Amino acid sequence: MRPRAAVAAGGAIALVVTLGACSENTGDGTTVDNTRQQTGVIATDPKDSLGPAAEVAGAQKGGTFTIIRETPISHLDPQRTYSFAGLMANPLFSRYLTTWKDDGKGGLVLVGDLAETPGTNVNSDCKVWEFKIKDGVKFEDGTPITSKEIAYGIARSFNPDLAGGPTYVQEWLADSPEYDTKWDFKKNQTSLPPGLTAPDPKTLRFEFAKPRCDLPFAVSLPTSAPLKADKDTGVNLDQRPFSSGPYKVAKNQAGVQLTLDRNPHWDAATDPVRHQYPDQFVWSFGPTADAANNRVIADNGADQSAVAFNYVPSSLVAKVAQDAALKSRTILSPTPSANQLVINNQRVTDLKIRQALNYAIDRDGLIKAVGGQTVAQPMTTLMPSSTIGYEAYDAYPAGANGNVDKAKELLGGKTPELVLGVADNTGEQKIAIQLKGNLERAGFKITVRNIPDDAKLDEVKKKNNPWDLYIGNWAADWPSGASILPVLYDGRSIKAEGNSNSAFFNDPAINAEFDRILALEPTKQGPEWAKLDQKIMKEHAPVVPLYVDVAYLVHGSKAGGVFISSVFGYPSFVNAHVKK
Amino acid sequence: MSLSPVEGVALAEIESTGDGDGDAPKAKGFVGRSPGQLAWVRLRRDRTAMISAAMLVFFVLLAFAVPLIQALYGVGPREQFQDRLDGFGMPLGYAGGITGEHWFGLEPGLGRDIFIRMVHGLRTSLFIAFAAAVITAALGILLGTLAGYLGGWIDAVINWITDLTLAMPFLIIALALTPTVALRFYGQREAVPPAFQIGVLISIFALFGWTSTARLVRGQVIALREREFVEAARASGAGLGHMLFRQLLPNIWAPILVSFSLAVPSYITSEAALSFIGVGLTDETPSFGRMIYRSLDYLQTDPSYVFFPGITIFALVLAFNLFGDALRDALDPKSSR
Amino acid sequence: MARFLVKRLLSAGLTLFAVSVFSFLMFFALPRDPVSGMCPKNCNPERLERVRQELGLRDPLISQYAGYMKGIFTGRDLGSAQGGRCDAPCLGWSYANNEAVSDTLARVLPVTLSIVIPAAILWLLLGVGLGMVSALRRGTWLDRVAIGFSLTGASLQIYFVGAVLLLVLVYNLRLLPVPSYTSLFDSPAKWASGLVLAWVALAFLYSAIYARLSRAQMLETLSEDYVRTARAKGLTKPKVYGRHALRAAITPVVTIAGLDVGGALGGTVITETTFGIQGLGRTAVNAVSDGDLPTIMATVLIAAVFVVLANVVVDLLYAVIDPRVRLR
Repeated sequence: MRPRAAVAAGGAIALVVTLGACSENTGDGTTVDNTRQQTGVIATDPKDSLGPAAEVAGAQKGGTFTIIRETPISHLDPQRTYSFAGLMANPLFSRYLTTWKDDGKGGLVLVGDLAETPGTNVNSDCKVWEFKIKDGVKFEDGTPITSKEIAYGIARSFNPDLAGGPTYVQEWLADSPEYDTKWDFKKNQTSLPPGLTAPDPKTLRFEFAKPRCDLPFAVSLPTSAPLKADKDTGVNLDQRPFSSGPYKVAKNQAGVQLTLDRNPHWDAATDPVRHQYPDQFVWSFGPTADAANNRVIADNGADQSAVAFNYVPSSLVAKVAQDAALKSRTILSPTPSANQLVINNQRVTDLKIRQALNYAIDRDGLIKAVGGQTVAQPMTTLMPSSTIGYEAYDAYPAGANGNVDKAKELLGGKTPELVLGVADNTGEQKIAIQLKGNLERAGFKITVRNIPDDAKLDEVKKKNNPWDLYIGNWAADWPSGASILPVLYDGRSIKAEGNSNSAFFNDPAINAEFDRILALEPTKQGPEWAKLDQKIMKEHAPVVPLYVDVAYLVHGSKAGGVFISSVFGYPSFVNAHVKK
Repeated sequence: MSLSPVEGVALAEIESTGDGDGDAPKAKGFVGRSPGQLAWVRLRRDRTAMISAAMLVFFVLLAFAVPLIQALYGVGPREQFQDRLDGFGMPLGYAGGITGEHWFGLEPGLGRDIFIRMVHGLRTSLFIAFAAAVITAALGILLGTLAGYLGGWIDAVINWITDLTLAMPFLIIALALTPTVALRFYGQREAVPPAFQIGVLISIFALFGWTSTARLVRGQVIALREREFVEAARASGAGLGHMLFRQLLPNIWAPILVSFSLAVPSYITSEAALSFIGVGLTDETPSFGRMIYRSLDYLQTDPSYVFFPGITIFALVLAFNLFGDALRDALDPKSSR
Repeated sequence: MARFLVKRLLSAGLTLFAVSVFSFLMFFALPRDPVSGMCPKNCNPERLERVRQELGLRDPLISQYAGYMKGIFTGRDLGSAQGGRCDAPCLGWSYANNEAVSDTLARVLPVTLSIVIPAAILWLLLGVGLGMVSALRRGTWLDRVAIGFSLTGASLQIYFVGAVLLLVLVYNLRLLPVPSYTSLFDSPAKWASGLVLAWVALAFLYSAIYARLSRAQMLETLSEDYVRTARAKGLTKPKVYGRHALRAAITPVVTIAGLDVGGALGGTVITETTFGIQGLGRTAVNAVSDGDLPTIMATVLIAAVFVVLANVVVDLLYAVIDPRVRLR
């Protein structure tokens, strides 16, 4: 008798689990086309930088817009913001010198945000830049924003206590990666960093030792958000940033929920991109990606005007993609986040082996392993397709599944023994199994070495790391080759640890090319980066480009105006509104 | 955060009912049978016990026959069949890709065969659970008898270590320590073999799992210590070894056996629980825990991927629990139905 | 009684001290770098090294430990990068969460308490109730159902049951809201509806064990002489069972319950992960994956405190429930 109850219980589970397992999967309708071309320009017409932003069709005021995310935003303090969640949350309560007007389809225009234009290259040599500050821009307490507060924001980013944010502007001003020793914020709180001046309340001036043509891009990052010196609460600003944008922090329960209310002092007439539709934004933290997506799919109550910030996990993709009713509630878009199989060029010095790796790679299988086409799209270039000036090419054409024969031919009968270092998290483990199987078919001997998850990124960035291959990811801070190629492949920047150039690739001719293109006008750089991209891959093959991440987002039936940022590949909320 | 709720309780249950059960059964027999024989007879008569025992034997045989099964089945645990997956990485065909070649279908994503991975996983999981149970039992018996028999400061120290071990949160420490253990033993360019990972898992279980057996044994030994036959042996000058192995242990094997039979399933589920928070074997080594953990996300999109490992681990653990329960009833007639 | 309590608390204190030393040694001697998370993209080695020195990571382990313990009892100054003055009980500063670790704990502790305490009440009532019924109705269908239920529960795992319950009750049938934590003081109804699934799942799995345990205990006690005597004296059934038998039978239940509750308060890692609720357990898991040592240390210590305290409470309860136990 005893077993009978247990068997009944087992049967009940079986029943629940097998429901819905009875239909055949024929593979129809599982192909996704999401190719698109990115266009990016810097606004030349000052009118582009004027507010208000065009009304969003069908948008209306009111309601609470919810964003569900697994982990809390690492920093709210604009000067410390670098995570994607932070970069997407910050525009709601911070304004910058410049910002991107983004149609969500790859059409980008860099416009002035607090500044009237995206910067003036005073002597046309990229060494002196000037920004004129708009009239009528205010903080949440109603006081006007002047060049002084913007300069103070940049100055406080030199404070070593406030690490975490981008360091471009600081390094350029100090002309040194050790910017915080060159200029000590704590000892000079009343002055400004070298090269940064605010001659009058309407003007902000940057003077650099070297040409810095990317400055208009760099100040589109939250480093350039303004702050009044008397509102600087140091590390505690993270809990309650001081708003200059359309919303302000109403309540912040660290790690649980962040509530933003309208900022009455924000003037739509000054803002070229932001809106103020919902009464409230709520960031809710805690649910896993699976749970958040299940909630939004269920479309219940408050979740109707919610977005799952974490994309549809591969385990749920089949359900979402094949549900016609959900089609109108999903957004599918490629992102600028590029993944490579990074080759340690200090160890794998034989070009033929690196080329063989490029021929051998089975991108189709790899993409299936990571979750299919709504999670990843194959790429063969160094820069993702979302980069300004991007041109598609395949230096080692081997078809969707790789060309094992070609790889073996290049290896000439040898069996290179390579060690693949991977983080011990579920995602990279899967990739490691896939790559091992794939590359061993092509004549390599692959040893998979696990690295503790939290240490992996730091370990592979060390110059003397012991591995030959590892998985790398790079998402550029702005869609220009300048924030990709020289950052990742300039060999002169290699140091003992903390290398973005984790391929440890160093070639004098390529380094010279970097200098040449970086000195060009930003508008002329695009096609040059694309040519260099191809040159690096053809001549050196320092990495194996694998895939770009794909954004696959589901939102509630009443959540409107969400689009995937063409710059960062995460949902942008400047147009968000709650439908009635 | 104990290893598993099952274990601790079951032991306490035995502890509370097991006092002096060494001679209790004698009262009932007409013929002079040893307590062991009596228990065996009772066990044979228990239908539940026999069914669960048969299931266990089946699982163990399956685990031993892995190479044979693989040879007959013709598919390896690491072979990938990605051409049978659709663009989302989901298996084509019915119920998670079940076909004549792939009896339980394919894993989404990597496209490995679920049946052969399950058989291999069964072997890994059973091995880990048995090894951990044997080691914890041995450790527990040793420390428990020492503490119970010698008493005094040794007892106090062992008790304190037990308290300390119980106070260390098992999951957090396992989570923090396991990934770094390999760093101490293997070079940065060496692959860490599955055997080592299995060894680490077993050691973690051993390190944290011995406390309940030790407490159980200590209680039993204290109860026996003052009995006449023990005193008689002591009076006749028997050594420590003789006292422990000839006098005490033979009289407390019954509760130890029961605790062992209930510890095995608790380690099977603990291995799964560890996988759930990301500790344990890497994906290359097939194991039940890892499989369950990976499959749960697919509850909605590929239910059969969840079903096969889920139902098997349930059956396995249930069989162990049923058998352990029946064993206790057989060994301790006072609490039998 | 007082002497016992003092003795017991002293040994508990000693245990906690040992836990703190062991976990400190283990975690701070690990080949991990707590500074790593500070700069995501571009880090220069000199800066990193400076931060390490500022944080005292280059000091000898002993003085790091002394500093840590001093912080717990008297508070200490952590420097401006870590929020400045940190009042007792100072558990350090977490770079991953950007707040004092004590603030994190203050936030997540109520969550774990809200999961564990109602669940424990539920599983004790359900488990002991089932066990009693099946003992008193021994051999009947009620007994068999109760035992079948208990063995099924003992053979299932929370992540499995939880996932199925979530899918069926929340996502498909929409009978319950998505599990989440709302403070009891903000809205008792939301608090209960957000956590009820976790309570039920935990109670189902745990009560199984209590049912088996209390059934066996009850059967044992019922056959004791004093219970028979009480019955023979002519006392009514409820009186005998309720006052005499239950009281003796419940002693081992209390032991296990103490350990279980103490352990669960240290973080129901799996439950919290399954239901996506951010309590102590998940905080610990996240801290490990972030390499956030101060938070790991704090969660280990707090978990140990709960277990040790639970042990003391169990010892005291023994004396109250079971007149045979005398405290020495």
